[in-house]
Amino acid sequence: MTTMATPTKPATEAPAPVYNPKSESVGAKRIKSAIFHVVALALTGVVLYPALWMVASSFKPNSEIGGANTSLWSNNFSFDNFVTAMDGIGGVSTLQFFTNSLILAIGAVVGTILSASVSAYAFARIKFPGRSVFFGMMIATLLLPFHVVIIPQYIVFQQLGLVDTYIPLLIGKFLAADAFFVFLMVQFMRNLPAELDEAARIDGAGHVRIFTAIMLPLMKPALISTSIFSFIWSWNDFLGPLLYLNTPEKYPLPLALRLFVDQTQSSDYGAMIAMSVLALLPVLIFFLVFQRYIVEGVSTQGLKG
Amino acid sequence: MINRRNFLTTVALGTASAAVLAACGSPAPAQTGSAENPVTINYTWWGNDDRAERTRKAIALFESKNPDIKVNGNFTDFAGYWQKRATEAAGGGLPDVMQWDLSYLRDYGQRNQLLDLGTVKINTDAFDKSLLPSGQIRGKTYGIPTSTNAFAVYYDPAKLASLGIAEPDGTWTYKEYNAFLAEVGAKSNGALFGGTDYTGIWWMFNIWLRQNNIEAFTEDGKLGFAKDDLKKWWNQTAALRGTPAIVSEERVTQLAPKSPFGSNVSATESTWDNFMAAYLGDSGAKELKLVPVPSDDKDNLGLFLKPSMLMVASAKTKFKDAAARFIDFMVNDPEVGQIFKTSRGVPASKTQRDGTTFEGTDKLVVDYEKSIEKYLKDAPEPPIVGFGTLETSFKRISSDLNFGKLTVDGAADAWFKEAEDLIKQNA
Repeated sequence: MTTMATPTKPATEAPAPVYNPKSESVGAKRIKSAIFHVVALALTGVVLYPALWMVASSFKPNSEIGGANTSLWSNNFSFDNFVTAMDGIGGVSTLQFFTNSLILAIGAVVGTILSASVSAYAFARIKFPGRSVFFGMMIATLLLPFHVVIIPQYIVFQQLGLVDTYIPLLIGKFLAADAFFVFLMVQFMRNLPAELDEAARIDGAGHVRIFTAIMLPLMKPALISTSIFSFIWSWNDFLGPLLYLNTPEKYPLPLALRLFVDQTQSSDYGAMIAMSVLALLPVLIFFLVFQRYIVEGVSTQGLKG
Repeated sequence: MINRRNFLTTVALGTASAAVLAACGSPAPAQTGSAENPVTINYTWWGNDDRAERTRKAIALFESKNPDIKVNGNFTDFAGYWQKRATEAAGGGLPDVMQWDLSYLRDYGQRNQLLDLGTVKINTDAFDKSLLPSGQIRGKTYGIPTSTNAFAVYYDPAKLASLGIAEPDGTWTYKEYNAFLAEVGAKSNGALFGGTDYTGIWWMFNIWLRQNNIEAFTEDGKLGFAKDDLKKWWNQTAALRGTPAIVSEERVTQLAPKSPFGSNVSATESTWDNFMAAYLGDSGAKELKLVPVPSDDKDNLGLFLKPSMLMVASAKTKFKDAAARFIDFMVNDPEVGQIFKTSRGVPASKTQRDGTTFEGTDKLVVDYEKSIEKYLKDAPEPPIVGFGTLETSFKRISSDLNFGKLTVDGAADAWFKEAEDLIKQNA
């Protein structure tokens, strides 16, 4: 495809420039790809910097965190903050806070999965009188800001003597009060072919059978997204536990974290950050384990049936 | 369609069962307890791990001395504490005894959420008479101070020595104080600022007003000073803003949540004397010292003791007597003083103060409060409702002043407008 090289030509001489669209485009692609990766890495760095700062600071002494100290690494590297953090607060061990958070988060996941899926089945598959009115009312609760109901709800639970128990925090989850998850599952179920339940009905299956044997297995992606979101929301919830729990022995992690920082006395930022790192681990592990399903769940939800 | 009669029956049944449950939930408890059958009162406080440990010790001591009362102690952080109290007050479920902050006393007291402690037996003989009015509103005692704070100027002697600047002796005019701030900034070539802009601190302004015999708030809850007073105050440091004498507002924001002084960026800071431990911890400094605030009138420093916290009881408590005994114990018992040292502030009751041995940092703070004793005047009444908002907007507007976004006149206009609106709203 190129001209024959003459034998007198010195070997070191570069070949005559020839138009070669293929090789040029490979070079351009490489450059483009390199630029893309550099930019992507830089953006990742910016996004992840706070997390990096947190992990790095958890190994620094308290006086070197924040304020005029801008360097990430300290020469006084130590695990002291983690030791303080694990000591707990006011006679309550940190393990206790973790256990409480886990009880609440797992309770929330179990409750939401059970109640939201059953309610969603009713809304999506059973024709009962007033279905659309009730569905509309449920959606309307999404528009009600949480802060509007705080005090009325508190009065109800206080009158029932349920303050300082986990019941006010969990009962809503078991009664499908999280309209968002019910809605998510209804939408998912509506996309499943109705022929499946019709076939099952012809074979003699009732609602219970159709729900447990056909719907639930098919709804796996929606169930997993729901579990992940309700786990993380419950794990991070601050206001609910703050209002309803009184005894420090019952506090979950977000309440305990705040106890390290006290504007009116001395603040132990080091221990707080160390505990934040520890508090992040379960969520991170949860994410890593279910990572595949999260992507699957979210992408399936976008599909039209 | 749901049958309407059925629906109504369901609602009626639901309401009835809720009422039955409610009745079961709160049986009428006995008013007084005995050693075999003690009453339980709830006590709640804000604070960190250290305070929790100390309070637990104090509660254990109280229970051993009063076997007929059990104290159930709970705690949260300061910000969450007030969210929780607001909800509980609305729901009628405030704990029996609470640690309280001065800025919330008038609000809850006026809304009859707090017990008038004048109606129960609490011994206040050992209290400084200038201090008690700070827990009273219109003649009713809603709070008993546990401990006191006084305003002071902090400085780091090591930093001054390295710059070759003499330590202040605490008798200075505003002019001398400004010159001192400028000297630190100049001699360190900008490596160290003199201090934060003290005209941005509400309490410094309040103290300056007292030095000029002006009350910040009148008895009927209005502003007691004129716009010109505020302009004069903000003009005090006009020449220093933007120079190394004063920490720039950008720097202050970068350093948050730590203070410039705690971050070793400035040489002095004016604030309450209970910040000593926090500053020592944040800055890692070996030693910090306290001197009184500047005043142009040598005999009137405008200083007063402010309750760092108070003990209050819920107006709805079923155990008034037990609550009163617990409050009395927490503010008067010398052994409680020994447990808390100065972590709540300097003990307010003389019996408690005398029963406590102070060492190191604690001693510095106690000695400071002793040294200013002769200048102390009556503490102001609890701040007006919405005072917190006023203090915040004072800080915000003066930081705009430092950024150069506002002139002194504009800043004074802006603050007065906000203050007058707020006072009108709460009237």
